Amino acid sequence: MFIYEKKLQYPVNIKTPNPKLAKLIITQYGGPDGELGASMRYLSQRFTMPMPELKGTLTDIGTEELNHLEMIGAIVYQLTKNLTEEQIKAAGFEDYFVDHTTGIYPQSASGVPWTAAGMQSKGDAITDLHENMAAEQKARSTYDNILRFCDDYDVKDAIRFLRAREVVHYQRFGENLRLLTDKLDSKNFYAFNPEFDKACFRNKK
Amino acid sequence: MTKRETLLKKISTYQFAALDMQIYLDTHPNDRAALEKAEKYKAMARPLIEQYEEQYGPLTKKVTDTNTWTWVKGPWPWESEDDC
Repeated sequence: MFIYEKKLQYPVNIKTPNPKLAKLIITQYGGPDGELGASMRYLSQRFTMPMPELKGTLTDIGTEELNHLEMIGAIVYQLTKNLTEEQIKAAGFEDYFVDHTTGIYPQSASGVPWTAAGMQSKGDAITDLHENMAAEQKARSTYDNILRFCDDYDVKDAIRFLRAREVVHYQRFGENLRLLTDKLDSKNFYAFNPEFDKACFRNKK
Repeated sequence: MTKRETLLKKISTYQFAALDMQIYLDTHPNDRAALEKAEKYKAMARPLIEQYEEQYGPLTKKVTDTNTWTWVKGPWPWESEDDC
């Protein structure tokens, strides 16, 4: 279960609205490599994941992604606060505005609503851990791309924090994969699905 | 940054250091130095959390004032003082 703390993981204090930038950053709220997908991916995969260390990692990183989702929501909220109709027009924000006004909606930068089709819970620990390492790198690339279009220090500061977390999570999932393969037959890690063919943990030579 | 935001940032700094250690411990559960650090950072946040909750209201749901449910009092985490 979860307990809410009435604070962000890292502060977001944006003084200057920028709806054009908000339309790009929303992709980390509900886009293909965004924080919502990351959280759902890890919190779903963990139910059938073998080994206590792996269950712990998925629970804790899946929860941290919810912190990041909230930070992205705060960034988009602050970038679109108190807009005038002129500012909306000048920034090309009308297309988002007609559907959601300035509400926070999980969609990609190109307007595609959040979909679970962008994530996987394969029920195979080797496959899922590779998916997770790839997901962290994809999110890191997205933050790098976002940073190309940021010139406001307050936005950059929060985005850089989030980018750094992708790198740390990648590291932890790499360690998960090593912990797992250490328990498997080194002659052929792929002979069994470690989540389904549980006997494989007993077969180790 | 307001005084409230400065105090909250201090709390977040220690809490984050503890969290980063905890996630590291998930894959290194027998690293005693990391265990000590995780506890140390958590302990450093504790008095600051008490101070914050006394001055500005609860960070987790609890009664801090017997007359009113201060949990609902703004600003919420995505807001600043001038939103309230």
